[in-house]
Amino acid sequence: MKKDININVHHVTRVEGHGNIHVNIKSGKIEKCEWQVPESPRFFEAMVRDRHYSEVARITSRICGICSIGHTLAAVKAVETALGMEVTKQTKKLRTLIKHAENFDSHVLHVYFLVAPDLLGAPSVFPLIPTHGEVVKRALRLKRLGHEWGSALAGRTTHPTTIIPGGFSMLPTVETLQAVKAKILAHVDDLVETVATVKALAPNIPAFESPTEYLALASKEEYGLYDGVIQSTLPDGKKEQYPLSAYKSVTNEYVSPLSTAKYTKNKMASYAAGALARFNNNFEMLHPEARKVADALGMKPVCTNPYLNSAAQLVEIVHSVYDSLKIIDELIASGIKNEKPVAPTKFSRGANGTEVPRGILFHEYEFDKDGMCTYGNCIIPTNQNHANIQTDFNKLVPELLAAGKTKEEMELALEMLVRAYDPCISCSTHFLNVKFVE
Amino acid sequence: MKYLFGVGNYSMFDDSIGIKVVEYISEQGLDKNFQAIDLSGNAINLLAYFNEETESIVIVDSANLGLNPGEYKIFAPSQVESVKELAGISTHEGDIVKIITLAKETGYTIPPIKFLGIEPLLIQNEFGLSKKLEDNLNVYAKAAIDLLDLANLK
Repeated sequence: MKKDININVHHVTRVEGHGNIHVNIKSGKIEKCEWQVPESPRFFEAMVRDRHYSEVARITSRICGICSIGHTLAAVKAVETALGMEVTKQTKKLRTLIKHAENFDSHVLHVYFLVAPDLLGAPSVFPLIPTHGEVVKRALRLKRLGHEWGSALAGRTTHPTTIIPGGFSMLPTVETLQAVKAKILAHVDDLVETVATVKALAPNIPAFESPTEYLALASKEEYGLYDGVIQSTLPDGKKEQYPLSAYKSVTNEYVSPLSTAKYTKNKMASYAAGALARFNNNFEMLHPEARKVADALGMKPVCTNPYLNSAAQLVEIVHSVYDSLKIIDELIASGIKNEKPVAPTKFSRGANGTEVPRGILFHEYEFDKDGMCTYGNCIIPTNQNHANIQTDFNKLVPELLAAGKTKEEMELALEMLVRAYDPCISCSTHFLNVKFVE
Repeated sequence: MKYLFGVGNYSMFDDSIGIKVVEYISEQGLDKNFQAIDLSGNAINLLAYFNEETESIVIVDSANLGLNPGEYKIFAPSQVESVKELAGISTHEGDIVKIITLAKETGYTIPPIKFLGIEPLLIQNEFGLSKKLEDNLNVYAKAAIDLLDLANLK
């Protein structure tokens, strides 16, 4: 039967910011199928102008309350590139440890509080308390671990204070590292149970293939969370690398009438960033324990089901735990050296990036001879995913229609797809560079 | 330990009043026998402080209370019900009243908590505060600090 279906979801729940889903189907024909982002721009790149280089990361950290460690790291790394500051191995290890804390913290919340309710047929986590109380308690224990892990090393998890250009304003002691290690080890059982829970719910994850390009940092030294070069993996597994300085020619921002945020594309019509993109680019660099989880969930690269971004997040949760334990042991063995922050050697323009929970994040700044910022640019992962969400919609809606899904089933499938990307929409709005002709 | 938390979004003008009160307290060195913490929008991290070692908690936040802009009101979580249009909790949404409810329902030890809710004038994408709220920072800080002891006394 040829159906009429109108889906108008204003403000998709369990995502940050304002995103709408509009699908109009008339007599079985799709007339409209849109992921719309109507959030207003926030002008952070303008706010950093005329500010000293030491202030830039403090300001851009406020772009996001969840990825504030990532924004701090991306900003500090870009400042260091612009100012010719080469940080030490100890700094890199400590920052990677903090990066793991952020990914762990955000992914735990996403998997348990956004994805689990969908897979259990609940509108939010609250109805799960009477029926799955132990799972909710475990989620809260792991969330607390993420918070305490980040706070111990970064001063605080939200808007960290210890990470500064050239190094750290305050270094953790060996005792602090030992305490963090003990806390992580005390939660390994919760981690094992989390894997079991997700594995049990995995059959409820929709089967949907939407091959695309996957963009992430890649490194020969680590999984590419903190540092690396830009790497693209195509659906056929073909990889290509680009230097971070070439980020603009990889992201190719453009304006879409569907969005106040700019869209991006590289080799295909759109690309994906985030946990699944990292998994597809860096599978070989995962800790063996994380690879076991991927095996248990039946995941291997190139994985093209966007709903499995959440499963990739679980793989990364496990990776972050075991890679952090390794880094902590190395730092304890070598002892924490009382290193002073590295000083600037020049004042110029520099771009750099890092991975945040939702994907690859780019920052670029330029400074004058007094160290004052004259230019800023941030390209946020959610921005980079908007076009890919639209690409997924274009493939998913006809499939749902052909499968005879009801309006309610289609609406849920589309909302779940958006939530799988865990978009941070307010964070992603991005001002236009315009010239007035009148 | 006693805690004073500031909640809000730093880049949403008067929504940042809770964080600005925490900053003011830290800058003035008023945090003598308690910790003043910027919780920002990551309200679920409040649960990390729900334990038997916590004597009292005061949460400073902007609040739609029907008062004149800049006026404040003190209330306990039990006195209010959230009508915020959110699904509950996500990686970004943080309804602090619902988070306290979640803690209660999952068996957390809930210390005495009081809110100091401040009526905003303007919430929009901009750094800073309305003059009315900025001029009253010392008033809010004193009220919140006094409340820590009152909260401890229930």
